[in-house]
Amino acid sequence: MIENYRKNNIIRLIIILMVSLIAVFPFFWMLQNSFNTEQNIFSKKILGLPELLFKKNMFENYIMVIKDYNFGRYTLNSLFVSGLAATGQIIVCSLAGFVFAKMNFKGSKILFFLLLLTLMVPVQVTIIPEYYIMMKLNWLDTFLPLIVPSFLSGALGTFMLKEYYDMIPNSLLDAGIIDGASAGRIYFNIFVPQSGAPIATLFIIAFMNNWNDLLRPMLYLSKEKLQTVTLALTQFQSQYSSRWNLLLTGSVLSILPLIALFIFAQKYIIEGSVNSGIKG
Amino acid sequence: MKKILISFLIATLSLTAIFASGIKETTEIKQDEQITLEWWSWSPEMKEKNQKIINKYESEHPNIIIENTMMSASEYWPKLKIRASQGNLPDVFGMSSSALEEWVEDGLLGNLDEYINNDKTKQEIYTNLLDSTKALAGGNHYYALPFALVTTNLYYNKDMFDLAGLSYPTDNWTWDDFKDAAKALTLDKDGDGAIDQWGFWFYGRYTQIESWVYANDGYLINRDTMRYEPNDNALDALKMLTDLVLVDKVAPPQKDMAAFRQRDIFAHEIAAMSVEGSWNIDNNRNHSDKSMRWGIAKIPLGPSAKVGYIYGWSDSYSMSPNTEYSQEAWDFMKYIAGEGIGMDMYMAGKIPSFKAITESEAFDASAQQPDEMYILKEQAAGAMLTSYTKGWSEWRGYGAAEALGLNGIIDGIVNGEMTFDEAMIEASKDINSVLKRYYR
Amino acid sequence: MKEHRLRWHGKYTPWLFLIPTIVGLLVFKLIPIFTAFYLSFTRWNLIGTPEFVGLGNFKEALHSTHFMQTIYNTFGFSILYIIGSMVVGLFLAVLINKKMKGISFFRALIYLPVVTSSVAVGIVWNWILGPNVGLIAKLLLSIGINAPYWLGDTSLALKTVASVQVWKMSGYYMVLFLAGFQAIDYQVIEASVVDGANSFQRFFKVTFPMLGPTTFFVLSVSIIDSFKNFELIYAMTKGGPQNSTNTLVYDVYLNGFQFFRIGYASSLSMVLLLFVGIFTAINFYIKKKWAQPLY
Repeated sequence: MIENYRKNNIIRLIIILMVSLIAVFPFFWMLQNSFNTEQNIFSKKILGLPELLFKKNMFENYIMVIKDYNFGRYTLNSLFVSGLAATGQIIVCSLAGFVFAKMNFKGSKILFFLLLLTLMVPVQVTIIPEYYIMMKLNWLDTFLPLIVPSFLSGALGTFMLKEYYDMIPNSLLDAGIIDGASAGRIYFNIFVPQSGAPIATLFIIAFMNNWNDLLRPMLYLSKEKLQTVTLALTQFQSQYSSRWNLLLTGSVLSILPLIALFIFAQKYIIEGSVNSGIKG
Repeated sequence: MKKILISFLIATLSLTAIFASGIKETTEIKQDEQITLEWWSWSPEMKEKNQKIINKYESEHPNIIIENTMMSASEYWPKLKIRASQGNLPDVFGMSSSALEEWVEDGLLGNLDEYINNDKTKQEIYTNLLDSTKALAGGNHYYALPFALVTTNLYYNKDMFDLAGLSYPTDNWTWDDFKDAAKALTLDKDGDGAIDQWGFWFYGRYTQIESWVYANDGYLINRDTMRYEPNDNALDALKMLTDLVLVDKVAPPQKDMAAFRQRDIFAHEIAAMSVEGSWNIDNNRNHSDKSMRWGIAKIPLGPSAKVGYIYGWSDSYSMSPNTEYSQEAWDFMKYIAGEGIGMDMYMAGKIPSFKAITESEAFDASAQQPDEMYILKEQAAGAMLTSYTKGWSEWRGYGAAEALGLNGIIDGIVNGEMTFDEAMIEASKDINSVLKRYYR
Repeated sequence: MKEHRLRWHGKYTPWLFLIPTIVGLLVFKLIPIFTAFYLSFTRWNLIGTPEFVGLGNFKEALHSTHFMQTIYNTFGFSILYIIGSMVVGLFLAVLINKKMKGISFFRALIYLPVVTSSVAVGIVWNWILGPNVGLIAKLLLSIGINAPYWLGDTSLALKTVASVQVWKMSGYYMVLFLAGFQAIDYQVIEASVVDGANSFQRFFKVTFPMLGPTTFFVLSVSIIDSFKNFELIYAMTKGGPQNSTNTLVYDVYLNGFQFFRIGYASSLSMVLLLFVGIFTAINFYIKKKWAQPLY
């Protein structure tokens, strides 16, 4: 039995390695070429990573991108915008999810259904009217159009949190009611502490979606100092040439915060929430 | 934990408020006569060079501040359109030949007659260029000031020609000369049955196809009916090209080259010749092996060729129709269109519209290839033809639509998806359904 | 089943808590959607005021062979993507769901494609799938097979692009499924081990049914994501060859942001909306029939 167990583990490990390899190699290509010069990236001979890594000026691209192309500033902008948007979303959505899961009121079904319906609407459909709204609000060339729609676009998060809260036994809720707690207290003291996993998941999703959004920064930002990282990458692709090496360097830099966030949040998603222990 | 969350939220909300209010630019405080001009352009790679020009201009005109906004082409047009819809166009902005007709019709460009007719512009700029730009804008008034011209050329690899014992292309090269050379240059060098070196390379892109049509006195668009009605000369040109792949086998089908960037194929010596925009001189200088020897030539002449016509178009600047400072905008526009700049502002292969610059020594002074830069000068003086219409990017297949439109159809022929005749029927149907929408 | 409960909260409490959600719904979803609906009956290029043309845009779409092809592509892409990403996502989640040392490192690796930009993904896969000189072509050639034109063949291109999208996004669904695993009661699973069930039986008869709500959620997300294919198509095939990878979203972009045919683009987006609505309705129907709540 133990033999079987170990054999299974080895097979599993092998498959995981293979899968990881398939998942990782484009990033590997990006990383490799982010140290390369532009001429060499698409040349017929392919330089291996070791050759590139220890050349004298290997970080040249990175230095150029951060210093001359202001990537430090753009990264801060993106962090600010996406962080705020994701934080807002988890607050708004967990509140809403709680309401839909645990409260009965007239119109709740219709409202929820409406919310879900709008979830399916791709951004290309609504972006032009949205632009006019932003224009009327005088929010052009600020961060607000990048934050507020995400902040308030609660459908996915609300859906997720509602499903999650649905699964939390009502006995917990009852305990709070018996104690005479208000809805707000019940929410904060009982449900929020339980929500580690879905909130962490939602945070990652919301952060990532906002970070990678190209359409809104492109339409709403003209001032260079406000640009986000993803938007800044497009300046390396002009009509006549693409500065591929810098583009790849910038891409690598733009991925790092997302991966860091993922690694950090993994803890909460995977090892976070556990059944509270109240079983019927 | 929740206290942290709440305080974090309050902190970020207040930061947002501060941020948002602080970022909004306060309206310009007009000190004395300080004028701010907005300039929009679509070449982000020109950032530093533009800044140098601006600094120079501002130092010469202390009461003027120039705000330059640059972005990639795919961003530029939607954002510019939106500014136009608000009636708030920048004072000076880049305008392309393909968009000219539509923008004039929508009343979005400032009329430049009073400036062009009354100063030395007509002597300073190539007449043909000025005229063709005016024609594209409807023919009655000037709406755009050309600052650069691009044409198309035959690029050829001198090393490969030498190895094959061929003499270089001349101004009088015919299609037959061209085909003979292409055949001699298509080689299976290592004997494995697969061609390693192609004589020629092309795909459906407008820069590569239209040149041949015009080199045979052909046209794609009937300008009287504004419909796609290619004449026989045009069809002959298209057939000659597609036959290079299907019959003569001197050029690869487009799908075989899909893994390469289109502009690398000549630069990486996969094909001995190609026809491309003159701005590829810059690409070929920077992306080919330093030891590669190459040159440019005029487009080979078809059997019905009429000499003197080239495929070429201008990049221009236009003025907002309701700018407060039209004289200052005009002065600046002329400055950046040629008056105040030198050859270093032009990507290699783009031809300045100001005769003084093009005909100066600086134009061919570069020690870099190609040796035949004089060809560009001759082309600059020639009469120009284009296939631009309203809705052009849709029916021609440009940018994000590159796999569609006429571009996609021509690729379909060489990829074996349909025969030439089938393709021409489909092209006629598709293109004219687009043109019908714009020209009733 | 929700029990019928007495109201335990203030009458207006739900609405108070929902204020941000409702504001967002109204201002950033409903109003724009209705505006887009209105615009789909007009002709407009952003300049001046929209001109009412009734059903003109829809008529144009119906008469266009390209449009029919686009619909077919959209449908095909979505089906392939939904099935692919769900299956691979679930497989990865099961694979990774083990407390081994360093497992979180591999989790992050598998998630990497999700956060990699579509531009980079497009370039790299173009290179891998390239005819004759690409990695796969060379590998197949060494065992004597001529590789097909993955991206150049009109009958293959769509499947290829959809597969690349599945590759890119599977890590995301893996994470969603993993989150769902956390809510499963492992006591039930352990009980089945004692009962002598092997791993396959364990998974399909015990674990998977308990994943019901999670699966429903992931399916919903996957359906919505299946229509978000603009960036990859732009990076890889630009709608070609011969319109075979042109989907509704790509067409909406082309017409809205390149050709400036706002009215026509809006009508296309209404069709897109219809599509998503149909898929979602099917999804809800499946939920009603198959997904079991935890208790």
